[in-house]
Amino acid sequence: MKNGPAALLGSFVAATLGASSLTAQSWRSLDVARQLADSSPTAVQVVYGTGMFGLRGTSNPLLYHMQLRYDATRSQPRHAFDPATRKLQLGVQKSDVRFTGRSDNEDGRLQLELSRVTPLDLSLDLGAVEADLDLTGLKLSRLQIESGASEGKLRFDSLNATPMSVLQVSLGAASFRGERLANANARDIRVDAGVGNVELDLGGQWTQDIDLKVEVTLGIVTIHVPSDVGVHVSVRKTLASFDHEGLIERDGAWVSRNWESAPRKLRISAETVFGKLTIDKTGR
Amino acid sequence: MRLAILALILAVPRAPLMAQQASAIQPAAARGATTDSAAARAQAQAGLSSRTPVEAAETARVQLGRAAMDSLRELITKFRRDPQAVPLPPNDEVAMGGRTIAAGTQVDGPIAVAGGPLHVYGTVNGDAVAVGGDIIVHGGGRVTGNAVSALGAVALEGGTVVGEMRQLAGTIGEVPRAAAAPETRVGATRHAVALASSWLVILVLIGIGVLVFANSYLEGVTESLEGRFGRSFWAGIAAQLALAPVLALLIVALAVTVLGILLIPFAIVAFVLAIVGLITLGFLAVARITGESLAPGTRRGYHENGAALRALVVGVVLYMGLWVVASAFAWAPMVETILRGIAVAITWVAATAGLGAAVLSRGGTRRPSASLAAVAPVNDVPWQTPTPVTGVVAARRPTPASTHRER
Repeated sequence: MKNGPAALLGSFVAATLGASSLTAQSWRSLDVARQLADSSPTAVQVVYGTGMFGLRGTSNPLLYHMQLRYDATRSQPRHAFDPATRKLQLGVQKSDVRFTGRSDNEDGRLQLELSRVTPLDLSLDLGAVEADLDLTGLKLSRLQIESGASEGKLRFDSLNATPMSVLQVSLGAASFRGERLANANARDIRVDAGVGNVELDLGGQWTQDIDLKVEVTLGIVTIHVPSDVGVHVSVRKTLASFDHEGLIERDGAWVSRNWESAPRKLRISAETVFGKLTIDKTGR
Repeated sequence: MRLAILALILAVPRAPLMAQQASAIQPAAARGATTDSAAARAQAQAGLSSRTPVEAAETARVQLGRAAMDSLRELITKFRRDPQAVPLPPNDEVAMGGRTIAAGTQVDGPIAVAGGPLHVYGTVNGDAVAVGGDIIVHGGGRVTGNAVSALGAVALEGGTVVGEMRQLAGTIGEVPRAAAAPETRVGATRHAVALASSWLVILVLIGIGVLVFANSYLEGVTESLEGRFGRSFWAGIAAQLALAPVLALLIVALAVTVLGILLIPFAIVAFVLAIVGLITLGFLAVARITGESLAPGTRRGYHENGAALRALVVGVVLYMGLWVVASAFAWAPMVETILRGIAVAITWVAATAGLGAAVLSRGGTRRPSASLAAVAPVNDVPWQTPTPVTGVVAARRPTPASTHRER
């Protein structure tokens, strides 16, 4: 009798999950690709709701290659390219991006390859996904990632050959890790997260100074900066902590000791509520 | 027929799609062994002869038996209904067993094959489709539209596809409607119980929240209910009848002014939220009183807050338990209907009385005992401020409300 509430809750969860698995499913696989006709800049919009999402570049003469496994009763694929406007839409229909809280959609997956030859303006609109974004070798003029509840990893293992106007990441409730982000070749990096852990590694090849704006409402933000990069941090925090080891306070901001002499500079504007901001300048 | 269908299904390459597509975009030499995979394996499984030379036109065609033809026609029919399909020519124009478009020739699409490969050496002006077969676009070959293969692969061996290369695997055909899925009685019962249980849990959680953050309001409504249930009930009915007119009046009043028109949507939302809040508060108060009467925790030595929580949970479980019990009989529609009717009636009475009490107590801010306390005499004489000499210790003058509390 002591376990009454727990038993009630357990029964409730079991009944809910049991009921949710009753709906009919129709799992399908779709494999679409398009030959590369030219290397004109292309705007790519990817929409994906729930499941595993992988993105990488391809050296094959293809503009895109999408492999999608989906439940046709819940989502419909989207693969449209307009050669006139150079707009490419991939993934699933926009209306299908919603979080249902059901576990049986975990079998869904989207594996996408994009041309490494074509300059891309890439926009990712993700729902609740586990994303592995290897953007190494892609020519990205702009990158925008919006995600509801996801676990995402983004990496640039080599320098983006095209200067990126802005790299923007907007997350709802997420765990996000960006690796070697200096290789993105972006002057402006913005990360906005509601709840979650955000880890940004600014390693890679620095071609210019970088402005980094981070807003996290509730969570932990860790920014790894190469030791030879000068850092200037202005923080607005509410009920949050700021680990500024190795930084000195100057004019209301925190700067690294090599701020004036550093060949490359990183200006961080951070805002956090109920969180923790850590600047790691150990050169990781 | 089933054997042939099975053969076609087995003909789908077992390799991952990535591997299929990777091979599709590789040069011919690297792909030689896989070009006829789907059709060849389909025929092998079905015990059919398989010859796929690609030099001469029509030599790639596969001889199909009647059963295989029938199953292919079924597959074509399914494919036509698939959302990812492209328009197909009539069935009598679909090349059964495969087809070769010879070099130097042009054909107008869409062209379609089934149960065999489509080799393209020439030009297809439009879409090229293979159902249960591969499409191989050889050097010099060109498809100006899309190349679509269902249960097969699209392979580039030096040719060009202007449109999209598309491969469909898994289930082919019309997408079943989710709502059309037949639900068993057990499933329906589990679903209904889960729904009712979730409402029970939600109400308990809301009740705990109210106890923690707005207990004084809950107590106000509870006091208003105690001993005056009938009055609260009739007040609740009056409130329900007045809902629509009050909302209409509110809208009209706002519409009179220009600025007010802009506020109408917000006013409607606020009104609905206020009513929902009052009903919830009132229902929780009824549940608490019911729980106290059934499980008098204070008499057993519970702490005051613990007793209130216990009473609230017992009450909510009692009322919502009716719904859970009714849901548990979803497998027996007649019994379920009767039980649901009882649950609706009891819940409506509780919610109506609760709403009435919430309205009478102004959302729990005005207690009936407060008005009695307001007329209680207070002897002012002892609290008259003495003439200060060296300072007077501050003391709180009793108010009617505090006097009542001290009692």
